[in-house]
Amino acid sequence: MEKREERLLREILSFYKGQQGELIPILLQVQANFGYLSEKARKLIARFLSITEGQVYSIASFYSQFRLVPLGKKRVTICRGTACHIRGAPRILEATEKVLGLKEGETSSDLEYTLETVACFGCCALAPCIRINKNVHGEMTPEKVKELFPHLK
Amino acid sequence: MEKIALTIDGLNIVADKGMTVLETALRNGIYIPHLCYHPDLKPSGVCRLCLVEVGDEQLVTSCRMKVEQGMVIKTKSPEVDKVRRAIVELLIADHHTDCRNCPSSGQCELQRIMASLHISVKRMRPLKWAREELPRDTSNPFFDYDPNKCVLCGICVQTCEVVQGTSSLYFVGRGYGTKVAFFANKSRCESCRQCVARCPVGALIPKTVR
Ligand code: SF4
Ligand code: FES
Repeated sequence: MEKREERLLREILSFYKGQQGELIPILLQVQANFGYLSEKARKLIARFLSITEGQVYSIASFYSQFRLVPLGKKRVTICRGTACHIRGAPRILEATEKVLGLKEGETSSDLEYTLETVACFGCCALAPCIRINKNVHGEMTPEKVKELFPHLK
Repeated sequence: MEKIALTIDGLNIVADKGMTVLETALRNGIYIPHLCYHPDLKPSGVCRLCLVEVGDEQLVTSCRMKVEQGMVIKTKSPEVDKVRRAIVELLIADHHTDCRNCPSSGQCELQRIMASLHISVKRMRPLKWAREELPRDTSNPFFDYDPNKCVLCGICVQTCEVVQGTSSLYFVGRGYGTKVAFFANKSRCESCRQCVARCPVGALIPKTVR
């Protein structure tokens, strides 16, 4: 973690008293500022609250809201709501996993892509659909998935 | 010590004040299935297997219930059996059932519980949830952890905390993905191996066994 980031983190912590009950508010605020909870951040938070890093990790990994790795530049979200599921979301997910070389929930090591699924993003009429950052692509097929990432072979 | 009289399965029993129903029953030779209870630890009440009927058909976890004067406890009843059986079946549906190749076979609480409820592993196989085997965690120099066998009782996590005053074992994740993780270099594991000794199933196994 760079000096500047560490300073920001310490500044965030300075608003708290160091009581264990503050863990979740702290995690939320740190994530809001950094996008995820880095190992270094978890370490500093643990020390600040006099708990172990394991405890911080245990809590952070319980809530799906908390990210332990940074988000990729392109956030690929596959809908698997009822409509998309029936129209083949599992096959779309499989195809996307193959193209990106990532499993659901993973981020590529070059931080280009993050692959996630959600329960529904409200485009059922276009099922099955994929969202890449803010753009929704509807009526997907495994073939069309490949076309979405032409530079990845 | 103040004495308390109660009835368990029709037997009149005298217990010390402050004891739990489960402790009292076990001390008097009455077996109540249990997974997350350990005499040295605070009862966490997470496995729900120790359910008993108190008075008129109220189900409570006996490991957390303190004895009271005149209590009437039934450790077996159609209702208790039904609920308990469902819990065991759910556990097994998400548990490795290759008992023959498990080093804990014979000392496994889950096997004991299944035997006491007459549940056969074979009959359970079709109910098993077909999912990929999770990899073993071999990061600890003294023991391995097999998430496919862990029943998430929490005994190891609590033991590490109590025995060492600090923990190197924690639950991570949630739901079906929950497992116990070992935080090696960041903590003070003194390889006391109490967690291994207390694991009721075969999820924590000393490295030398394999
Ligand atoms: S490893 Fe064993 S003791 Fe620890 S939670 Fe799993 S079953 Fe319980
Ligand atoms: S032994 Fe009582 S809930 Fe597990």
